[in-house]
Amino acid sequence: MKHRANVLISRTLFASIAVSATVATASAEGGIENRTIGYALTSARWAIHQTADGKSECPEGFNEGPREQFKALFPNGGSVEKTQLAYESMVRYPLDEPMKFPYREARGPTGLGLDLDGKQGPEDFISPEGARGIDNQLFRAIGCTRLFRTPDGTYAHFTNMWVKEFGFNRILMELTDVDSLSNDDSVNVTLYRGRDRLMQDATGANIMPGGSNRIDTRFGARFIHRLKGKIQNGVLTTEAADVYWPWAVFFRRPGGYEMRGLRFNLKLTPDKAEGFAGGYADIDSWSSQLVRAWSTHHSSYGGLSQPSLYPVLRKLADGYPDESGRMTAISSALSISMVQVFIQHEPDTTLAAAEGAAKRK
Amino acid sequence: MRHITNIAGIASLASVLCATALIGHADAQTAGAPEREAYQQVPMPPGFRVEIGEVDGPVFADPKGMTLYYWPHTTMRNGVTGDPKNASNCTDTRTTKTAGLMSPYPPGLDLPELDRRKSCAEVWPPVWAEADAKPVGAFSIITRKDGRKQWAYDEHALYTSILDERPGDVRGASTRRTGGDGPAARAVAAVPPAIPPGFAIVTTTMGRQLVTDEFYSVYWSERDGPEKSNCDTACARTWAPVLASAAAQSKGDWSTFERSPGIRQWAFRKKPLYTNVLDPTTGSLQGSDVPGWHNAYTQLAPSPPPSFTKQDSPGGVVLADAKGKTIYVYNCADDSFDQLACDHPDAPQSYRLAICGGGDVDRCLRTWPYVVAEPGAQSANRTWQVIEIDPRTGRFAKPGQPGALRVWSYLGSPVYTYAGDKQPGDLRGDGNGEFGGSRNGFQAFFLRDEFFNNAS
Repeated sequence: MKHRANVLISRTLFASIAVSATVATASAEGGIENRTIGYALTSARWAIHQTADGKSECPEGFNEGPREQFKALFPNGGSVEKTQLAYESMVRYPLDEPMKFPYREARGPTGLGLDLDGKQGPEDFISPEGARGIDNQLFRAIGCTRLFRTPDGTYAHFTNMWVKEFGFNRILMELTDVDSLSNDDSVNVTLYRGRDRLMQDATGANIMPGGSNRIDTRFGARFIHRLKGKIQNGVLTTEAADVYWPWAVFFRRPGGYEMRGLRFNLKLTPDKAEGFAGGYADIDSWSSQLVRAWSTHHSSYGGLSQPSLYPVLRKLADGYPDESGRMTAISSALSISMVQVFIQHEPDTTLAAAEGAAKRK
Repeated sequence: MRHITNIAGIASLASVLCATALIGHADAQTAGAPEREAYQQVPMPPGFRVEIGEVDGPVFADPKGMTLYYWPHTTMRNGVTGDPKNASNCTDTRTTKTAGLMSPYPPGLDLPELDRRKSCAEVWPPVWAEADAKPVGAFSIITRKDGRKQWAYDEHALYTSILDERPGDVRGASTRRTGGDGPAARAVAAVPPAIPPGFAIVTTTMGRQLVTDEFYSVYWSERDGPEKSNCDTACARTWAPVLASAAAQSKGDWSTFERSPGIRQWAFRKKPLYTNVLDPTTGSLQGSDVPGWHNAYTQLAPSPPPSFTKQDSPGGVVLADAKGKTIYVYNCADDSFDQLACDHPDAPQSYRLAICGGGDVDRCLRTWPYVVAEPGAQSANRTWQVIEIDPRTGRFAKPGQPGALRVWSYLGSPVYTYAGDKQPGDLRGDGNGEFGGSRNGFQAFFLRDEFFNNAS
């Protein structure tokens, strides 16, 4: 399909104006209006503690990827079946046992994220601010893989680009029954998927607060989640809930991560919300999503060997044991940023009004 | 070569699927004889003709009615392949090694089943020109490296496809969009549609959809009369009439009418046309969710099997089997210079087996089962057919072969469900394969995709 960005933007602005025409545009004090405030996701990346040269957390260096492994496995080439397709088979059907290649896990005491289990274990990290008990074994698994690191890792680069760009990934968070963004001992938090593009500034590089977004109640139905929360000293914390998190990346294919026991810890202002979403990533669905979203080609640009990663995820899994006691999920955290938006609860407000007016005549 | 990445289309879903605005439209438009897309009359070589593809609309065909294709020069990740203009790189020489056109695998790997492998020209027979043939309109004649003459269209060497069996078959490629990291796909030599300036047609799984030349969906309203709009000022804030210039002429399916003094609006088959200002992107069909409003098609694609259903998914509406499990197509092209298809039962099955089962046939059959046709099911059109497959080899079964499965196929290749899908609308198998399933893998069969245009 041909894309006409300029047309699209002007069209979208027009649509946004049309949608927002039915709502008040001036927000009340503190950004709260009708005891409600909404935000839209503008950035999400797996939380990785990085030092400038990486030597602190990755003293043995970074992992090698498919190109290097393929060369080592098949130095003399061979048939497509016994080389290329054999490697692709391993990508999709990895073994629980490690490959013959060394795998570098992130080390050190420091990690980002949340205390998910309320305990301080030997594998837990300490946050840069000194908080103990940080559960983020996913960081241990992927922290020394360049793909996931910033600013050069393509995972972080592309996912953040497309979190903003793809409507499929348009996560909205609405806080209701809010009296104050500073302290409120009980608020309701609802996640939706939005239907509209985000409002950009004149450069197109930054997302502006104050836009409006309709809720996708049809195709986004399984992304709607309701959580209880509270605000203390301007920080929203929520209870844990199982959440399906939409995250389409390459190839314009839909996808998402199934997070168990996800909870938020976000610093709120009238314009934005920033912090962590921490929870346990279901190993099989997380791996499957990664395989589907990141081809062997794309994984090669960043040293991600999915056949090597899978057994590490299995080994480090620390949550949600199955009947045999085997852990099925791994602790993780997403570093997220959101911008304030007006969430429209009547998806067809403007349409309905127009239709209604037409019928009355 | 068949381009499976963006494999084409479906279907008037009429009575088999739930009632929705889209189905309402399909019912309305299919009442009576099926509509066929009108096309421009252009000069053609003697004997050449136009066939109407069930999914792809009007296509040029040779004197036997076989669809014509060309192979556009295409830049891949690691090189270029395809035909330059006025030349053919599709020869009688059988390639034996990969070309390394797609990362990350190197060139020089031995291609599968070399004893059965065909040359490019065997898969894509050139359309030969007589020695005394003369150029006609956009059709010209090129001289191949071996001195033989071949017809070209718009300076592209022309071929037929061995996958096409009957006049009107378009199984070698698709008029749906191509690109991305898919193969260097062959293109259909499509006949220019008879549409006014300001409009375009896109091939979707639902049919040949009318859009603006900026690729926004075009709609019509049940409340309008023939060449009469009942969409007043308030309505028109959301539904923007597609305006015609004073000089615009009515012709064929197209007409203009005066919606208000001095303001003319286009109508297609007498239905006034609009766009929806709330459609957020090109390709969006959100306007069709409003009761009474429908997208416009020049022709609808054939119906899928009656037992199939449609389901809402996080990405849009997908085709599903009777139990609601999402239907997938398998796409494959090899990494030879020829970029030959490997998604067909006559092609090497090792590519598919690697993705569906890690090389294990039993795991493949468990994980990606064929969609078995119900007893007595018959093919109702050329697009959706019942074929017999040997499940152990993935190839066509011999007549009467024990253990053969009667399965549903789309444009000649089987369709599948995915064992990882647990509830209707699940898409857990979508994009599973090399390059998101574009080159060697599975992709969901979208009837409507609000986000990524995977239905077009």
